[in-house]
Amino acid sequence: MTDQADQSRRNFLYVAAGGMGAVAAGAAVVPFVASMMPAADTLAAAKTEFDVGTVEPGQLVVIQWQGKPVFVVHRTEALLKQVDGHDEMLKDPNSEAIPEVQAEWMDTPEKRKYRAIKPEYLIVVASCTHLGCIPLFKPTPGRKDWGDSVPEDWPGGWHCPCHGSLYDISARVIKGSPAPHNLHVMPYKYLSDTKVVIG
Amino acid sequence: MLEKLMQTRLFKWLDERSGAEAIIKSQLTEYPVPKNLNYMWNFGSLALLVLTIQILTGIFLAMFYKPSAALTYGGYTVAFDSVERIMRDVNFGWLIRYMHAVGASSFFVVVYLHIARGLYYGSYKGPRELLWIIGVVILLIMQGAAFFGYLLPWGQMSFWGATVITNLFGALPVVGEFLQQLLRGGFSVGDPTLNRFFSLHYLFPLLLAAIVGGHIHALHVVHSNNPEGIDIDKKDTIPFHPYYTVKDAFGVGVFLTIYCYIVFFNPQMGGYFIEVDNYTPANNLQTPPHIAPVWYLTPWYTILRSFESKLLGVLAMGASLAILFFLPWLDRSKVRSSRYRPVYRQMVILFFICVIVLGYCGHSAPTPTLKLVGQIATGYYFLFFFALLVLPKFEKTKPLPDRV
Repeated sequence: MTDQADQSRRNFLYVAAGGMGAVAAGAAVVPFVASMMPAADTLAAAKTEFDVGTVEPGQLVVIQWQGKPVFVVHRTEALLKQVDGHDEMLKDPNSEAIPEVQAEWMDTPEKRKYRAIKPEYLIVVASCTHLGCIPLFKPTPGRKDWGDSVPEDWPGGWHCPCHGSLYDISARVIKGSPAPHNLHVMPYKYLSDTKVVIG
Repeated sequence: MLEKLMQTRLFKWLDERSGAEAIIKSQLTEYPVPKNLNYMWNFGSLALLVLTIQILTGIFLAMFYKPSAALTYGGYTVAFDSVERIMRDVNFGWLIRYMHAVGASSFFVVVYLHIARGLYYGSYKGPRELLWIIGVVILLIMQGAAFFGYLLPWGQMSFWGATVITNLFGALPVVGEFLQQLLRGGFSVGDPTLNRFFSLHYLFPLLLAAIVGGHIHALHVVHSNNPEGIDIDKKDTIPFHPYYTVKDAFGVGVFLTIYCYIVFFNPQMGGYFIEVDNYTPANNLQTPPHIAPVWYLTPWYTILRSFESKLLGVLAMGASLAILFFLPWLDRSKVRSSRYRPVYRQMVILFFICVIVLGYCGHSAPTPTLKLVGQIATGYYFLFFFALLVLPKFEKTKPLPDRV
């Protein structure tokens, strides 16, 4: 039998049929993997609308965007002043290290400092860039209100309870923290004076 | 290809630790199969393929399906909505669900043809009795799995189908009510029923996979029957690989062509594979105007309906399946294949027609004529099995050939 058969023709058919089968099997994997990616209804929830006018001066509100917590702080004049004067304590005072900590609208040194389209409303992702815990809001400077959980020269901002990372009132990470980066700024824009769409 | 692979160092390493070479030789490259098998012998491997498709698609559907009868804001239920979410929102969810739903019907098409092959060529006879019995167990588990799965979309047919079938158990004397409540987890089909049916629907295919392993093992001990139904001379066998792997692969190609056509172009098969009423959410206060099980259960549904007494109907339905276990001993003829049994051949073909008639009756709304037809078919269903006891006394079989 074998010596009469055209082996090269047989091998070609073998490889061709096997190859087609492999391509078909590979194509069949696509829908199964794709099904595990976010579904249409999950993607539809990818944007969040919020009225920052509802946040009282000095107040912090945590809202949800794509299932992640987002800080919205209404910064008073006093809080805005706390942004200045400690650049030497910061890992990345101008928010330049990675794309996630900056945005297109950060086109002036002022905006890079305040990290907000409207300086009085800071909106950032509330996940510590170390391992994702939600930092505690400790806005007043010094140790008076917070004890030794913060350093003596505390400029006011956030303190992460998980591993002690510190951020200033513009959510910029302070040197010596385990967190590598400032809190991330997600895309957002103002639809009206106070209506914000996040995402 | 396989020989080249088996000469690699990796394979040698594996073989020394697993005996892989001996397994491959005894089960594939040196496993003897009669050389005269026809295409009816393709359905075993096809059944294995469909089982694999069902388990794979089922695992993915379970990632999105939620077994809860709790009401949602839309006025439907969590289960019903989660199925609609699979259809509309989950990427390729429609494809995976249709593959699973069409796969269920395909599974029964393939398995019923596989069983018909066994009946026609006498594959259930010695020495293959255990192989046949394991096969009947597989059939019962499949029917259970299909029944449990049909409740999950929590549509009208799901709900009322489950209500009717769980009521069947209630018809049994003494233990009936206990069994019924055990199945339902309540006094009617409801949220607890849905939860346990989901659990069992996941369990049964795993049982199937294990028992199918036993079925194949039993086959490989006694080896395949063949269209002539005679014991095969070693000289008339060919190795499973490559001869029957290639033939099975061809069958897979034909099957997948038909399967994909249905999945992509006609997934509901005109209401036979997915009943239209099941797109109406379950309502425990209103039964649909016409209620029938999915096509693959309708023959047994007709047997159930053919009796005036509820208990008798339930017992007859149970007996119609249980009698399959005893078939190897009911049939006393020494000759296996219908090719050499002229009377049996007529009887078994009539039996196939009878099962199709039973299926048709069960799918249609009951009328007096259909009821009578169903009763006659039910009568023949049982007559077939008992006639086999005495048939060898009358049947003049044709002389068997010595070799194929």
